[in-house]
Order: sequence, then C-alpha cells, then structure tokens
Amino acid sequence: MTVSAQARSFAEKLGLLNEVALFDGLSEADMAAIGHATTMTHCVRGQQILTPDDPPDRIHIIKKGRVRVYRVTPDGKQLTLDIHERGTILGDMSLLGQSRLPEAFADAIDDAVICTITPDQLRQLIERFPTIGVNLIRHLSGRLQSAERELESLAYQRVDQRLARKLLDLVRRFGSPTEGGTLIDARLTQQELAEMIGTTRETLAHTLSDFRRRGLLATVQHRVVIRDAERLAGIADADTAG
Amino acid sequence: MTATLTVTETIAPAPAIPVLPASHVPAISAAQMAEVDRSAIEDYGVTLLQMMEQAGAHLAEVVRVEIGGDLRDKRVVVAVGPGNNGGGGLVAARHLANRGASVRVVLARPALRMSEAARHQLATLIAMGTDCCVATYDLGDAALEHVLATADLVVDTVLGYRIRDAPRGEEERLIGFVVGAGRPIVSLDLPSGMDPDSGEASGAAITAGATLTLALPKSGLLTPAGVARSGRLYLGDLGLPSALYTGIGIRTNHPFAAGRVVIMDRTA
Repeated sequence: MTVSAQARSFAEKLGLLNEVALFDGLSEADMAAIGHATTMTHCVRGQQILTPDDPPDRIHIIKKGRVRVYRVTPDGKQLTLDIHERGTILGDMSLLGQSRLPEAFADAIDDAVICTITPDQLRQLIERFPTIGVNLIRHLSGRLQSAERELESLAYQRVDQRLARKLLDLVRRFGSPTEGGTLIDARLTQQELAEMIGTTRETLAHTLSDFRRRGLLATVQHRVVIRDAERLAGIADADTAG
Repeated sequence: MTATLTVTETIAPAPAIPVLPASHVPAISAAQMAEVDRSAIEDYGVTLLQMMEQAGAHLAEVVRVEIGGDLRDKRVVVAVGPGNNGGGGLVAARHLANRGASVRVVLARPALRMSEAARHQLATLIAMGTDCCVATYDLGDAALEHVLATADLVVDTVLGYRIRDAPRGEEERLIGFVVGAGRPIVSLDLPSGMDPDSGEASGAAITAGATLTLALPKSGLLTPAGVARSGRLYLGDLGLPSALYTGIGIRTNHPFAAGRVVIMDRTA
C-alpha cells in the first residue's frame, strides 16, 4: 500500500504534490513555435516570476535557467517547494485539467528566460499547430485512463504486473527511441517508482532485476531502457489478479 | 467536633526507561530490516504512516529524556532528509511542538523532492504553523549556522538505514552543518552517514549523543565504531506483529516487555 487517498488529498491541498510536466512529448519544433508566438521575459537572479495574485490562467515555460517555487508563511518565512529547470511548465493549468499549486510564488535562481502563454495565445497556437491540440487531448485522456488503471491495479494486481503497466505508461509519456530500445527519459528514483506502484523500494529493485534478467529491460545510468515492450505488455495484461 | 480529612498521596518517582542487555536482543542487518519493512506493509497491511507515527512519537520522548526531562521552551532543531527517516523526524517535530518545545524544521531538499509519506507529515506541520525551511534555498549559511548553534538539541533524521554510500549533495551539506554546530544530537535509527551493518562511516557522518533505533538494533550499532558514533542507544517499538519476525526466521525475545522504549546496554 502507498499512503492512503486521504493523505494524498491533504498533501495536495497544501501544494505538496508534484506537478506533471504537461508539455513533455511535444517536439522541439512545437516548443520553438510556442516560444516564438508568446511573450519571452528575461529575468535576473531573484526576480519574481509568479505570485498568487497573478492572473490565474497563465502558463509559464522555463526556457533557460532555474526557478524556485515556494510558499510564504503568514509570518513571512519562505519554504521552497521545488527547484525547476528548463522545460518545466509553471502556473495555472486548470485549462489542462490540473490546478496550480496553491499559494505558490516563484522566482529565478539564476538569470532565466520565461515564456508566458495566455489562454488566448494557447488557442491561437492550437489553431496554428493542431498537433499541440492533439497532444493536449491525448494528455488529458491519458490522465483519465491512468487514474482508472492505477485504482484498479493497486486493488488487484501483483507487483510485476503493476510495474509492467507503470513502465508502459512511462514509455507512452517519456519514451524516446534509442538503439538498445525505448529509453524512459524521466528522472525517477527507485523510491519514487516504488511509491507509484504502491510497493517498497526493495520489492521494486527485486522485480526490476528480475525483468532485467529476463531481457525485458536494461538500466543505463539510472534510467530504464525497455528492450521488449511486447513481452512487458503480456505481463501487464495477464489476467492474474491476486 | 470537627473532622479533618487528610489525604496523603505518595507519588513514586517516575520509572526510568528500562535497560535491556544488548545480548538479549538479536541485531539485524539492513537487508533484514528491509525485509521486515516489506513484510509489514505487504503481508500484514501495516502502513508506512503507522510505522512513521510510532517512530516519531518515540523519538520525541527520547528527546525529552535527553534534554533533561521537560520539553517546555527548549529549542529543538529537526534536520530532515528526503526519505522516510526524515518523515519520522517530521512526526517527532509535531509531537515536540505539541509538548511545548520551540521547534524548527530544516529540510535537506525542497518539499516536493521528499517521499510521499514525508510530504504528508510536512503538510500537517505547515498547517500547524511550525517553522519549516529548506537548508540550501531558504536560509543562508550564516542563518543556518545560527539556527543550529542556538539549539538546545538537534534531531538528526537526515538519512536512514537504506543509505549505504557516503552522503552526497544536500544531505552531505546539511550533515556538515549539524556536525559543525557541536550541539547535542539525537539520531533516528542510526547516525546519518553511518553504515548500518559495519558502523563505519565512509564520508560525512553524525556522531550522536543518543540514537533511537527502531524495531531491532541494526548490527552496525553494536560494533566498536558504531558504539562510539551512536552514543546512548535506545530501542523503540514499531508495533509490528511478532509473527512477522518468526516468518522471516528472527526470534525477537520480546524486547519491549518492560516498555515500548528501552535502553540497550551494549556492555552486556
């Protein structure tokens, strides 16, 4: 079991769950197009990028530099929630089925370049580059499906099946083809992966090495390369509840 | 005639924490402890949050004893790593604050880089208004030094038994500041940076005045190096089923028969 749903929603309420990087999977060209059609802000170190008082419907993409997202307590003290690098999306994404971290501020740690998109601009972008719209729809339906699958899988499946399903899900979201197979291009610790499928790190490590031995995957520099997605899908779909 | 009612109540001095010879209890390796954790969760349905609550509540009690018996107005800094050892530290921070201590929580990593269970504990502390900050990003070096130097006691929950390599990055940095402050330290499970099996340290490591280890003592705490590094050794009950230990071939010998927290006498 992982932390209960109740615990999850409480942490969520206080802005303590990770944001999903929504534009992952868009091509460099699409990203460049987004960059050109929107407002670019060059920030100096320490400059504020986001406050809770900002218009609630903007999306900010970090093009360069690092950004610190933090909360401010009633007595004025700051608590850093996360440090984001190039490629991360900040801001309200209720438009995209995800709400913004409550009460979050953001400022630049280094000199940074931030690309800001208004809802109007996003609509225009989708008209010009339908791929972006398709990707958004895929992302939203994917979120819905994976939420349903996760509920089902936590309730009924074995660890190897849960892991197989999660890996295939990650391939869909972060997969990039390489010579040796499909690389899951996401920074994930074993602990994080274990939590995603509701098991311990040890069990995860054991299952991963079992998959490795069976030639289903390889690990290269702490990242997973899927070598045999077909057999992995077989494990994911096996009808072996229990 | 007047009747005088005299009530005489004799209150015995509070019983001290029971002492148990270390030879009475089996020590376990990090691999065995990982199996205990796995079995607790997967075979017995004990949740991580349940275990974390036990660990943190005992830790607050050990801090009370080590700080002189009363937590009121004592300044306690809790140094917190990103994993579940840190989560236990966050639970202890809640109990310490509830019991009158002035608590400051210093995280090694940004809040969203912590384990899910630790984030859950952090959310409660934030809702309580407990002072929480991230060492590298929310405090300058001078402020961090000051916070640690003015503490009556520092609680070390930076790294747990799953870490075998020398600490790196933010954890190494926070350990360095805690060591540099030279204040009394109580560690959770084992001093951060100490190898759980050998008691040796291959890099930055805490030397604690006292250590609360959980469930069963880790082998490294019983080696000469581990004894020197861990200080007074307490053992705290996580409330795990006895059958769990039997199932993986460990005879526990009921270490908590005399109390849920005991002091281990390693000379015996």
